[in-house]
Amino acid sequence: MTHASVIDPELLRRYDTPGPRYTSYPTAPQFSSAFGETQLREAAVNSNGDPIPRRLSIYVHVPFCLSPCFYCGCNRIITRDTSRSESYLARLYREIDLTAALFDRDREVIQLHFGGGTPNFLTPAQLREVVDCLRRQFHFSESDGRDISIELDPRFISPADIAELAAIGFNRASLGVQDFDPAVQEAVNRIQSVEQTLAVIDACRSNGFRSVNVDLIYGLPKQNPAGFAKTLDTVIEARPDRIAVYSYAHLPELFKAQRQIEASDLPSPEAKLALLQLAIQKLSDAGYEYIGMDHFALPDDDLAQAQARGGLHRNFMGYTTHSDSDLIGLGVSAISHIGDSFSQNPRDLPSWQIAIDEGRLPVFRGMHLSEDDQLRADLIQQLMCQGEVPIAALERRYDIRFNDYFADSIERLKPLESDGLVRIEPGRITVTSQGRLLLRNIAMCFDRYLENPAATIAPRFSRAI
Amino acid sequence: MNQPAFPRADGHIIADDGDQLHFCSTCAFSQACLSEGMDKRALNDLHVLVEHVGPLHAGDHVFREGDRFEAIAAVRAGTVKTYVIDPDGREHVLGFHLPGEVIGLSAIDGEHYPCNAVALDTVMLCRFSFPKMAVLAAKLPGLQKHLFRLLSRDIGRAALLAGDWSADRRMAAFLIAFSQRLAARGFSPNRFQLTMARTDIANYLRLAPETVSRVLRRFQQDGFLVVDRREVELVGREHLEELAGPVLRQ
Repeated sequence: MTHASVIDPELLRRYDTPGPRYTSYPTAPQFSSAFGETQLREAAVNSNGDPIPRRLSIYVHVPFCLSPCFYCGCNRIITRDTSRSESYLARLYREIDLTAALFDRDREVIQLHFGGGTPNFLTPAQLREVVDCLRRQFHFSESDGRDISIELDPRFISPADIAELAAIGFNRASLGVQDFDPAVQEAVNRIQSVEQTLAVIDACRSNGFRSVNVDLIYGLPKQNPAGFAKTLDTVIEARPDRIAVYSYAHLPELFKAQRQIEASDLPSPEAKLALLQLAIQKLSDAGYEYIGMDHFALPDDDLAQAQARGGLHRNFMGYTTHSDSDLIGLGVSAISHIGDSFSQNPRDLPSWQIAIDEGRLPVFRGMHLSEDDQLRADLIQQLMCQGEVPIAALERRYDIRFNDYFADSIERLKPLESDGLVRIEPGRITVTSQGRLLLRNIAMCFDRYLENPAATIAPRFSRAI
Repeated sequence: MNQPAFPRADGHIIADDGDQLHFCSTCAFSQACLSEGMDKRALNDLHVLVEHVGPLHAGDHVFREGDRFEAIAAVRAGTVKTYVIDPDGREHVLGFHLPGEVIGLSAIDGEHYPCNAVALDTVMLCRFSFPKMAVLAAKLPGLQKHLFRLLSRDIGRAALLAGDWSADRRMAAFLIAFSQRLAARGFSPNRFQLTMARTDIANYLRLAPETVSRVLRRFQQDGFLVVDRREVELVGREHLEELAGPVLRQ
């Protein structure tokens, strides 16, 4: 996908509809409580039965944050009581015991990621304990490609802590920045200096981290082109390997924290678009390649390299190079993807704790993917990662005739084709440079669960831009 | 798509389910009977019961060791695994039975089934009452010959792996034999799903499960095959045939 090009504002406005982000297909609202512990165990047994069982990725959710950022839509618990991590970790270790028993020991762990909340709510010593516990229960790959990554809040971590993380084996970090503009920082309740952020980036570098990612958000209250341009310049100068530029989705009826945000402080749709244009322009000029959705990477970064090879994938942790792995989600609200199944842990702490205290796998909902689900998941994955639908490969893999099977989808794509977002040719559907920013709208044409138009109006999905 | 990838069945593989008068197109015995001038009506007249069973689902047993032996069954769709449990409680996989193949032959000798048979996926069967069938076989040399042929094929297959072969040769022989059996039923010979779990393959080949994966991974690196979840595609078949040759005596 490499370069994001000039976008027609009118077009973007027209496609600015609510839609899933497709970190999974089917999306989480399709999960059902009929999928429980028994089904998860079955899925794990089946996944062990593959002739070459997939490798494993592990996600650990740390739900705590020291202070509330008002834009946040994540599952998190605000507390200053750091002792809460002790009882959380005690349960997490039980969950690791219960879960590790499901998987054959020769299945290598190729990726471990800590997300939140704020993973560095845990001290480096506690993080070491978690990694050690996982290393005892799972077989970690010794290959170069094995990653241990963490989302960091630069306000609460020191360069000395980073050195400790590196010693534990962490080699990738993702830093929340959002915007350096003081007015914006005040409006979202996240005061974070340029200095402390750059110090963390430097520390990651000097301790041999393989990559550093910086997260920015556009569409925040009080945000303006001048301030955001300065933020972009500062970030670009630090040259992180990856930069994500997320759209702020204001859904106060869904996310309590967002009710602290004055709606009148939010940029107009036009202004928001200008912020996105600005980011794309500056990042492209600085040599960053557009990976897809909200992600940019330097050409020599693993993501850009994987995309060039056709080996890029997308899961709940975003874009990843670790394609052929089953994903084990640990901790409150975490989502797993084992074999042909998705499953999710309870989103509230008490339910998760009770399940573990009773010695149960704490799954509260999930689903088994039908062959149709797998086919569409595969297609949407290729669309989001490679910017095209590999028609011949799908026909072969799923034993279908594409034009018959997806006649409805192709019909739905026609207006998008007229608008220049996709090119439909015999045997090929490709996303145009215009379409790259509207990947989710294109993917929605293939989403069987959106066929009921009423479903698209539900406010559970954020807007496309 | 002229040859579907097992176990995906299309029209020409499970085309004709037969009826009161006609054999199923997949019937393991129809040729032998018809060549003796026995059609289905004649079999009915002799009270040889032929009944369709299924669908059975993964984990359902067709019969268990010690059950009274009353029938042999031909697989019409899916995969059936036969196994025994030794006195220490360990499972020993005896074989995998694919569409067009017959299970229960090893019981011909006695009154009871000497092993367990379990469905590994969605299985459809055709049951033939025995010993009525045996009586019939005595009258019809063609049918008897067919039964003997099935029986010896069953024994021969089990004997193949008894030799002192390397893990690579065993694995290659397993894949090539599997492929040949599927091809005989009209399935694609070079693209199929391994419907049995890795532990079952390992058990059958007397290898560790890790070894099964390790050998397959190496075959994949060497460009002999491509594995995607349960699906296997033989892209360098001649290399596998070469490895399998001594084991399969081909």
